[in-house]
Amino acid sequence: MAAFDHFHDMYDVALKPRLLRTLLEEQVPDEKQPFRNPSVLSSVVSIIKTHGLLSESFYPSIDKGHLGSWKSAVDDWVDRILKLVSSNMPDKCWAGICLLGVTCSECSTSRFLASYSAWFNELLSHIQLSSGSQFVKVASCASTSDLLTRLGGSPNVKKDGTSHAGKLVQPILKLLNEDHSEAACEAGAYLLSIIITVFPSSVHRFYNNVEDALVSKIMTGNCTPKLLKKLACCLALLPKSRGDEESWCLMMQKILLSISSQLNEALEGLEEESKHDEAIALLVPAGKSPHHPIRGSADCSSTMLTSSFPVRVIVPVPALLAMVRRVLLVDGSLPRSLLSFTTAMQQEFICSQLPVLHLYSLEVLAAVVKGISSQLLPHAADIVRLLTEYLKRCRFSELRIKVYSIIKVLLISMGVGIVSSLSQELINGAFVDLNPADGWSSVTSPSVISHSSGEATLRPHRGKRKHTTLFPEEKHNTLCLELEESKDSSTLMAVKIAALGALEALLTVGSALGNDNWRSSIDKLLITLTTDACRRGWAHDEATWADFQHSALRALLASLLAPARVRPPYLAQGLDIFRKGKQATGTKVAEFCTHALLALEVLIHPRVLPLVDFPSPSMKTFGGQREFEFGGRKQNFPSRGGMLGMDLGGDSDADDYLNEIYLENVDGNVSMASAEKAISLEGKKNTYIDQNAERPSHILVDESTDRKAEPKDTSQKPPSSITDVTSGRRNCDEMMLVPEHFNEPIQRPEELSSRRVGGSLVAERQYGKPESVGDGDTLHLLGTAPSDRDLLAAMDISVENAVADADTLKPSQAGLDNDSSSDPFPDIVDGDPDSD
Amino acid sequence: MEVVVASSSIDAGIGCWDIRTGNEQLRYKSCASPPHGLVSVGNRFLASSQPRESSTSGSILYWSWKKPQVEVKSFPAEPIKPLVSNSVGSYLIGGGASGYIYFWEVPTGRLLWKWHAHYRAVTCLVLSDDDSLLISGSEDGCVRVWSLFMIFDKIGRAEAKHLYEHSFSEHTLRVTDVVAGYGGSNAIIVSASEDRTCKVWSLSKGRLLRNIEFPSIINAIALDPGEHVFFAGGRDGKIYIAALGAGSSSDSIYGMHIIGSFSDHSKSVTCLSFCADGISLVSGSEDGLIRIWDTKSHNIIRMFRHSKGPVSNVLVVSRPEMILNPQASLRRKHLSVLPPALERYSDSTEEAVGLKAVIPDWSAPAEPLDVSYISEHVMNNQIEEIQRQGSYAAAEMETERLKQDLKKAAQMLQQLRKSYDGLHEFCVNELMSENGFNELYMK
Repeated sequence: MAAFDHFHDMYDVALKPRLLRTLLEEQVPDEKQPFRNPSVLSSVVSIIKTHGLLSESFYPSIDKGHLGSWKSAVDDWVDRILKLVSSNMPDKCWAGICLLGVTCSECSTSRFLASYSAWFNELLSHIQLSSGSQFVKVASCASTSDLLTRLGGSPNVKKDGTSHAGKLVQPILKLLNEDHSEAACEAGAYLLSIIITVFPSSVHRFYNNVEDALVSKIMTGNCTPKLLKKLACCLALLPKSRGDEESWCLMMQKILLSISSQLNEALEGLEEESKHDEAIALLVPAGKSPHHPIRGSADCSSTMLTSSFPVRVIVPVPALLAMVRRVLLVDGSLPRSLLSFTTAMQQEFICSQLPVLHLYSLEVLAAVVKGISSQLLPHAADIVRLLTEYLKRCRFSELRIKVYSIIKVLLISMGVGIVSSLSQELINGAFVDLNPADGWSSVTSPSVISHSSGEATLRPHRGKRKHTTLFPEEKHNTLCLELEESKDSSTLMAVKIAALGALEALLTVGSALGNDNWRSSIDKLLITLTTDACRRGWAHDEATWADFQHSALRALLASLLAPARVRPPYLAQGLDIFRKGKQATGTKVAEFCTHALLALEVLIHPRVLPLVDFPSPSMKTFGGQREFEFGGRKQNFPSRGGMLGMDLGGDSDADDYLNEIYLENVDGNVSMASAEKAISLEGKKNTYIDQNAERPSHILVDESTDRKAEPKDTSQKPPSSITDVTSGRRNCDEMMLVPEHFNEPIQRPEELSSRRVGGSLVAERQYGKPESVGDGDTLHLLGTAPSDRDLLAAMDISVENAVADADTLKPSQAGLDNDSSSDPFPDIVDGDPDSD
Repeated sequence: MEVVVASSSIDAGIGCWDIRTGNEQLRYKSCASPPHGLVSVGNRFLASSQPRESSTSGSILYWSWKKPQVEVKSFPAEPIKPLVSNSVGSYLIGGGASGYIYFWEVPTGRLLWKWHAHYRAVTCLVLSDDDSLLISGSEDGCVRVWSLFMIFDKIGRAEAKHLYEHSFSEHTLRVTDVVAGYGGSNAIIVSASEDRTCKVWSLSKGRLLRNIEFPSIINAIALDPGEHVFFAGGRDGKIYIAALGAGSSSDSIYGMHIIGSFSDHSKSVTCLSFCADGISLVSGSEDGLIRIWDTKSHNIIRMFRHSKGPVSNVLVVSRPEMILNPQASLRRKHLSVLPPALERYSDSTEEAVGLKAVIPDWSAPAEPLDVSYISEHVMNNQIEEIQRQGSYAAAEMETERLKQDLKKAAQMLQQLRKSYDGLHEFCVNELMSENGFNELYMK
């Protein structure tokens, strides 16, 4: 190779074979040199993956010469690896097996299909070997899994793959039975699960053997939780190999029976219905944890519920729920009738194990909720009742976390119907968990008491504290919040995070039904909590504290966005927090805050987007000058842009409802503003009705989209004229509204009277003071409007008033009606305002 | 593939057209369905109610997408007219002529519950967008909102004064159509009635928000996805545009809140449905034609002829691609079998045994195998373990390696010794032979 044979760039195909050869020469171990530093393997693999050195993929235009050299380099690579695999030095053999696994996933499809069989046999021989290093076994299992995974992805080798995979089953079972090494068992279990997933029918013949092996392994009770999970997963997948309904149901039944019998044993003495034998319970040695098998069974049933199955099977939901209920109802207290039969020691032992049992059954419950989500309806009420009851009593952090997460899933999947039966308990619970100042003293969990009694020391802050003087209560809060780095409080944080998640779901799903009694307290709680959480700046993404901040911000956003009767009381504070959070560059908090600001923008600048984005006719036609006809008089107006001395971008903002509002205030010109509004919103109309200029005859915004409805219209008519409202067309328009709807709680007395007479007076106030955008009254109006459907009705009234008033001003009415009727919406886009 | 599916109230089968190309697809046979009596269950198959005229019985039929023939026939206890299914297709809800609402579980066919909802026949059923509230309209003009959760809550049911969440009785005549808007609990619903009005209701507050009088009876409503307006198909053949979010004026010739209308001078409009793009509106008419309108320009984009008789239902369904992808249909052949027929009566023993669910349900998509390559990960873990040098397995491998080294070294030693012996022997022989000795000496 020439010394100056340069490449084009790092993407050049010519680079790849050379890089591969260099790796082979310098880094990949060979038979002769001793293999000292295993970490080179990791760098080799990373280079191979980054550069795609084994992919042999290329654009058609590539030089054939490069291609040949690449192919031969990969050939050499494979040769070397196979030599390493068959090496009798265990470390080199291990290295070869690892690299073979990577090769299986990285090499080109044609190469893989040509040689997988040979590679498989190499790997198989290492798994079959009863002696040999554990390391080699683990690596062989992993590499074989990768080989099968890749094989499963190729469409035409199903049969061959199945026969290959079948050869593995016995060796794996042997591995599971004999091997005492955790890692090897784990790898074996994983390989088995891959086999069942990818080539289910290969396990068919060994179904009973596999089941026996797995069950006996699970029941030995000396597996680590990680291994147990893998074994349970295998067991759960096993029915797939038969792929029929009976085997799934049988498996589920067996698991439930086994859980039940283990529960009988575990809860002996606490359940009235079960016969108890003190001796049996005492036989279980205290040191040995008898619940691992239950964990395995619970894991297994959860996996069975949540993973896919080729045919539809009937899930014994009632049995599962009964099992869950059975466990959750036991809290370690003794029924009176059993007091004389159960010793304190027995009770102590059971109580020590109960939380774990509760956790397992909650996991099963979560799996039931997830697994049968779309058919949960008939069972939902039972589950909710069980959960709310349990939440009331449960005091352990991990269990509460689980309960909150199940509630959250339920809320999201079941929708608004479930809210009313869930909200009260959820809110009570969340208040206890989120409100240390009030909550902890009344409900005490042991770990919490120690904190609030001041045992924990105040840590130095990461950020600067801005407030030097703190109220006592606040101090207490901060004390609790600052424990995030100690171990206990990280579970405390996790509870808070879970509670916030559930609250967020509640606000998202059901706040429209929420009565105001809980809304205001929740809003207050969330803003206080978030302000506290964010006072000291922003945590790094990894910290639990960052998760807490994130979930607090999420819940706060939900509280701001959720429909309410009045403007969210803490909107300003919330916006401030999000703005600050946005500055924490590079964190997920900043990401979320940006999203939150976008979402809130719509709350502040409500949009009523028209169906058709028709251009505003007059604007186009007349450019800088527009003519409008008001009350029979022709008036010339300069266009808005001209008037304001700025280029407003022509018709692009003609549909922008907000601009209209603001411009109206700037101009201070009644007729102009309302006419423009009419242009932009009515759009199709080319004639403007005279009373438009005088009083509100239009509902410019409607309330049906929830967020934006204000009586924006203006009026110059003195309020006294509204006494005419009963006349005219009132009867044609049925009004649903009774004046009580306007009795907003926060309303000022004088405003009350003015609003009672409908939108026009309010609008007049607003209009009468053009600068009043910042005025308190107007703000109140704006705030009230978005979420309250009353306003739709309010606008109806204003329309009604206007209509009534309009009838008193007959002059051009008839002509206008004709005119507008000749323009059925929205056929005519452009029109001549002069035509009238 | 987005298709328009249409049925008629006389037996003309179910027509099916590709919206994009306009080609007619398979026509499903023997279907005469009343308004609101055709549903696509989770987009997996079609179901339609078939009440027989002047009869006290009726049926519900299923068609799979692939076959024109009816595949499953169910015979409920009374004639069912309106049908609705939740979006994943796990439940089918039907409204009976007696005012009962029937609630079936699709995968098992079980009748989970039925309840007396109205005093007269149920005319239309619709679910809120989160599938948690059911809204029913009746011949007596009543519109009721039901919480499905509540319906199945035995204890809550016993405690409550009435089952429904809201009962709206402002309509004076038969309710012809109800639609629910966007926004879960905060949504609006719009109902149309033979009293020539459409009414807008708040779902959360349970109150009438707006009443709109039309020049004609409205048979069908379709909500603009932005809820700016809604479209109301009238018996006079016009499609009216009524304001929701849009500005509306009092001076329209049609009346308050009605912005305009468009029509093809056809007979009565019987059903409306929006396409997925939110712009094209499909209307069915009494003259047997199906028109697709561009709601922006109010032009007709396409027209399909379904039959001579009136079109009673149009649906826009995104039908699963089945012809183009034989591999996928092969893989899911188990699932393509239709569920069993719906039960006529609820099984009282169910109550005791409890209800069972079925997985995977109809909604479950063909999951890709969630397996990933692990060997690199395992290798890196092992390297770490070796470098920590604490683990038993790493030590074991090291021992094994050393053993092999030792073996090799021993072999090497053996070899060296052999060659040494050889050399030694050679030298001794050389030295001993006189000849050599002399030679050496001479030098």
